Amino acid sequence: MVKAYTQEHVYKHPWERVTSASWRKFADPENKRTLSHILEVDTLNQKLDPLSGKLYTTRALTIHAPGPWFIRKIIGQDICHCVESTVVDAPSKSMQLTTRNVSLQKFIEVEEKIRYDPHPDNPTGWTVCRQETSIHIKPLSALASMAEKVEQRCAERFMQNSVKGREVMERICKYLEAESSGMAL
Amino acid sequence: MGLSKRERKSSSNSTSPCAHLRAAYHNCFNRWYSEKFVKGQWNKEECLSEWQKYRSCLSEHLDDKHLSRFLQAEGALGSIFQEDSGNPVENTAK
Repeated sequence: MVKAYTQEHVYKHPWERVTSASWRKFADPENKRTLSHILEVDTLNQKLDPLSGKLYTTRALTIHAPGPWFIRKIIGQDICHCVESTVVDAPSKSMQLTTRNVSLQKFIEVEEKIRYDPHPDNPTGWTVCRQETSIHIKPLSALASMAEKVEQRCAERFMQNSVKGREVMERICKYLEAESSGMAL
Repeated sequence: MGLSKRERKSSSNSTSPCAHLRAAYHNCFNRWYSEKFVKGQWNKEECLSEWQKYRSCLSEHLDDKHLSRFLQAEGALGSIFQEDSGNPVENTAK
């Protein structure tokens, strides 16, 4: 029982700006209201390989993920802990983020992969974002009998949140654009 | 609805003792990332003192934060709070 969803979005901003926005997405206070499901983000580890120009980051995300009442009743909580691993390859301009839940694993496994690459049609001006989400309900868990329903709800929520995430990204990109041309403040 | 509850929860988390150090580090990192790293200056990492302060705060508050769950959950993360796991660049940068 695995469901996978892919989404693609083109940002009309250069890769450098879009990936900068990605780092600020959860951290900027003004986005907290829009992305209210993100409760806490901590950087656990950050390593730079100065020779290859690769940056490795591990962050801990605490997410408020309220499901329908019957799920809350079974699982007993609506807070989910996730680990996000990011690799940014500066020389070849790629950023890859993988996020997995580390709590509630006996019920459900969710993996989200996001890639930011320069757009082939306009590599210096646009960025393409590919997002792949897979949802897996554990077959022997208490949720198994309603797996279909749970996966559906889960997927809907992911879609809603990724729309919000894109809005926030667009907003930060605009802000960074203004800042870089000296128009900010 | 559940919003007020959620906000309370979120703000009580954010007033955690490391929040200020975290903000200082993230601000420094964001500046370094957009002004240097993506512009080809990736040979030297900055924000090392901010990172040290933030990281030692995190390790100090491992118990009252839920962070220990993360460490238990993923073996790959087991090394994060060990002494030698900091920043490989640290040594070369000094």
